[in-house]
Amino acid sequence: MDKSQAISQPHRGSARAKERLYELAVNLAFILLCLVFLAPIILIVIVSFSDERSVVLNGYSYFPDKFSLEAYKFILREPDSMLKSYGVTITTTIIGALTGLLLTALLAYPLSRRDFKARNVVAFYVFFTMLFNGGLVPWYIFYAKYVGIGDTFFALIVPNLLLTGFHVMIMRTFFVNTIPVSILESAEIDGAGEWRIFFQIVLPLSLPVLATIGLFATLGYWNDWFNSLIFINKPDLFSLQYLMTKLLLNIQFLAMNTQNSNMMELLANMPKETVRMAMAIIGAGPIVLAYPFFQRYLIQGLTIGAVKG
Amino acid sequence: MKKSMGFLSVALLSMSMILGACGSNNNSDSSPSTPSGSAGASSAEAPKSSESELKPYEIRVVYPAGAVPKDLALVQDEMNKYLTEKINATVKLEPIDWGSWMDKTNLMISSGEKFDIVVSSNTLGYSVNVAKGAYAPLNDLVEKYGANIKASVDAGFLEGTKVNGEMYGIPVNKEFASSYGYLLNKSLVEKYNIDVSTIKQAADLEPYLELIKANEPDIIPFFVGMQRSLGNFASIGDIDQLGGSVGALDRNSNELKVINQFETPYYNEMATLAHKWYKAGYINKDAVTVTDFGQMQVGKAFAMQMELKPGKDAEMSQAWGLDVVQVQVKEPYTTTGNITGIMGSISRTTEDPERAMMFLDLLYGDKYLLNLFDFGVEGVHFVKKSDSVIDYAEGVSAESIGYRNEPWMWGNQMITYLFPNEDPNKWENFKNFNAQAQKSIALGFAFDVEPVKNEVAAVANVLKQYQDVIDAGLVDPAQEIAKFNEALKAAGVDKIVAEKQRQLDEWASNQ
Repeated sequence: MDKSQAISQPHRGSARAKERLYELAVNLAFILLCLVFLAPIILIVIVSFSDERSVVLNGYSYFPDKFSLEAYKFILREPDSMLKSYGVTITTTIIGALTGLLLTALLAYPLSRRDFKARNVVAFYVFFTMLFNGGLVPWYIFYAKYVGIGDTFFALIVPNLLLTGFHVMIMRTFFVNTIPVSILESAEIDGAGEWRIFFQIVLPLSLPVLATIGLFATLGYWNDWFNSLIFINKPDLFSLQYLMTKLLLNIQFLAMNTQNSNMMELLANMPKETVRMAMAIIGAGPIVLAYPFFQRYLIQGLTIGAVKG
Repeated sequence: MKKSMGFLSVALLSMSMILGACGSNNNSDSSPSTPSGSAGASSAEAPKSSESELKPYEIRVVYPAGAVPKDLALVQDEMNKYLTEKINATVKLEPIDWGSWMDKTNLMISSGEKFDIVVSSNTLGYSVNVAKGAYAPLNDLVEKYGANIKASVDAGFLEGTKVNGEMYGIPVNKEFASSYGYLLNKSLVEKYNIDVSTIKQAADLEPYLELIKANEPDIIPFFVGMQRSLGNFASIGDIDQLGGSVGALDRNSNELKVINQFETPYYNEMATLAHKWYKAGYINKDAVTVTDFGQMQVGKAFAMQMELKPGKDAEMSQAWGLDVVQVQVKEPYTTTGNITGIMGSISRTTEDPERAMMFLDLLYGDKYLLNLFDFGVEGVHFVKKSDSVIDYAEGVSAESIGYRNEPWMWGNQMITYLFPNEDPNKWENFKNFNAQAQKSIALGFAFDVEPVKNEVAAVANVLKQYQDVIDAGLVDPAQEIAKFNEALKAAGVDKIVAEKQRQLDEWASNQ
């Protein structure tokens, strides 16, 4: 056959093979990436089921000498504190995230409206708080002394987490870019008041940003341990993350102060490696397991908004 | 109409928030001054002290703990029943996690929160807090209300906490000296019939390390970790650290002369020995990075260095679950650091310092109260086996007990109960230990780092870089010590030593 024929007809066999090879390579790369992300978590699970002695002798290992449920038994022997913390964290997350979301939207919306005269001033004010803050001690004094919510449930919700300048800015940008002014104007012409416009037009159109900020807020509340550390003395009000972090912090602190031999003996009595791993699993596990179920709604919410816009 | 409704609701919302904030101004988060339990329970019973009518007062006691015990309220109620009769006061016990202790107490102090009794220690920022004015001066209070304190704590030790002539913390009456030595794995000692009385100094340990290395390939002959290493002897064990950083007093000299402990021949000697052991393979390779005594704890090591006190081996054996034997190598030595190791202080924000001192004083003399506070309610948490020995109550074990406290943090430890596995003569031994200890000639001197704090920070970096590594023997001291000292000089160590000397001389002239 002559050259032209050979060139004009694509050699189907090798092309398909090349494609498959390419697909295989990409898939393999991503599988490897997934494994790299999952490996540490798997290690944590395995260590939490290992025998303490073998961990001390051999370090963390994927194939421990002995398996044991001792770590979980230790924690579950006194499940009260963990259950209470779960309750506290779930409640603060739900209340905090929803309230925070509402407040953020309420603040961001006026900032996005052209006809709000003071919008630049307020926006600057919000932005300023993102850059500067008064420091730890004034923050503490303000909430504990003047607002009076130290050592209460509100200390886990309000300080630092309820309203963040960053979230407000994100929402404002979304409102400015996505809500066509013409819709708002036509609603006004039709006789809708401001509140109605907000709740019935703006919010439904903003599901993507609401879902995003809602997710940020939820994660912020779920992961927070700092507020518990600073404000809370009553063990009934400790958040879940703080319960686990305080164990680590205690151990770190005592380890730094081993010159005091009594503190060193205390250190010897602290829960061991496997127990710490087990606490991490118990703390994070339920969310990880629950997430696949909620994932569907999250994506739905996001894509609905996108299509409409 | 709709617009005004919106406006109205916004106005209402903001007004209510402002009013709410104003209203809660009065209740700060600290405890209200009404005592928990019973203002009226004191009834007609006159308080034990013959002072004029004592009004009910709630003493807020803040102390570090690993966890809030389940039965804290129970023990607190028992204590309050007793205290209301004695001094018409009640206590509010507030244990705070170790990990958040520094943060929380600093915040409490900075924000001027009212609290009464707080645990203090030179390792928990005692001198910094005294400088901040966080603690109440105690000289007068101890004079008037500290009868038990004066009776149980040696006057010389009380001097040790003084800053500028004023006491700010009362040391807990326990062991006041540290003696250095070794802990040896008991089963190995017995297996090879090692006669521990032949170990009088570090070098004596060497033949045994060789023995272990030859016969037990899996066991680390000399475990080094968490700054417990040979070099440590010279940089901590044999000197009075005078408050930390560089600049120390040679224990064996009678002069109040501050020296750089890293330049002494003794340091060189210890570091060289450590390096020899490291090269011979006696020391574990992760000596400077290991974060716990795990290897020793599970029996994978033969010997390790440790600061000792009477009964230390029994305590560590219990804590570790592995039997160890202690071999004392250095005579006990008492420095200011030993005394300010753990103390009880009274906050400046207290509203009734006399009452707080009365409570503190009770912990030094009232056997019932102190043991209740330390161990829990008799019958519920512990039972008495004899006049001075207790054991866990029926069905209660170390893990399941609903209350625990640290006995070494409070009062006069010599009047507390002992557990069956402890030496019945423990307190006698402690008293002898304290009495026999060599007291540093600088006992009572506390170094104020303020004038040289930049140099101290710079030196701290150099120490971090060199000290642990040289102490543990990981590097060859022949070159490294010279480099170490050079770096120290560059960081301003001479200035620190000079300043310490100056302050020491001043303190001495005021004695």
